[in-house]
Amino acid sequence: MEFVRVSHDAWGQQVLEGVSWHLLPYAVALGAVVIIGHAVYRLVRGKHGA
Amino acid sequence: MAASVEITGAEASERIERHKGIDRLFHWTTAVAVLTLMGTGLLPVVGVKFEWIKIHWIAGVVLAALVLFHLVRAVFWQSLRAVWISARDVGARRGGKYSIAQKLMHHAMALMVLGAVGTGVVMLAKVDTPFWKRNPYLLSADTWGTLYVIHGLAALSAVTLVMIHVYFGLIPENRMYLRAMIRGWITRQELVTRHDPERWPGKKNP
Repeated sequence: MEFVRVSHDAWGQQVLEGVSWHLLPYAVALGAVVIIGHAVYRLVRGKHGA
Repeated sequence: MAASVEITGAEASERIERHKGIDRLFHWTTAVAVLTLMGTGLLPVVGVKFEWIKIHWIAGVVLAALVLFHLVRAVFWQSLRAVWISARDVGARRGGKYSIAQKLMHHAMALMVLGAVGTGVVMLAKVDTPFWKRNPYLLSADTWGTLYVIHGLAALSAVTLVMIHVYFGLIPENRMYLRAMIRGWITRQELVTRHDPERWPGKKNP
């Protein structure tokens, strides 16, 4: 997996372009994991009457 | 969440000021600016093409001004201690004005916004505005690349943080904080249930 985007300048040297946008779904997934994890925790805690 | 301290009568429903009007205005204008920046910055990435640069840099300047306002207000008019994470926060059932989770969210958001604004302000040199002409040669290509990476990382973390922030703002047990961010107050009962009155006694809502 690429973490950054690179291009090449007129002399063939690598130029850093920015962060890889392939990471965007991972950012969404990380948020979803925290939300679902907490929602499950609330459900379990609620069932046990905490 | 069960109340550990029950108070009765009119005192329980007494309104305690949590956020002043100016701070609520700051919060919601910041929210609009951040969502505008995320929309204009990330929608083109997922294939929604439109003229985004002008809206993006204007929203960025607005966010930079809001950050500056908040920094000055936090240092000179508010208590920095309220958001400072101390040993007393770790494992405490009731926090001061802000819980450790709220402090961590604030610091993560602050880091993200400062990363985005700090790099974004420099990146303004690459756009034509009514106030200046673009100068892409201000920095070396490597330096621009590094700034773009930091700006992009801030954008990606904004996605995760906004999702988490909105979720925790909407769940029923935190509904009082959403009300406080809209109307400014929580009740005395809510204060003693979720906060340590020794650390945050609260003042009556004016």
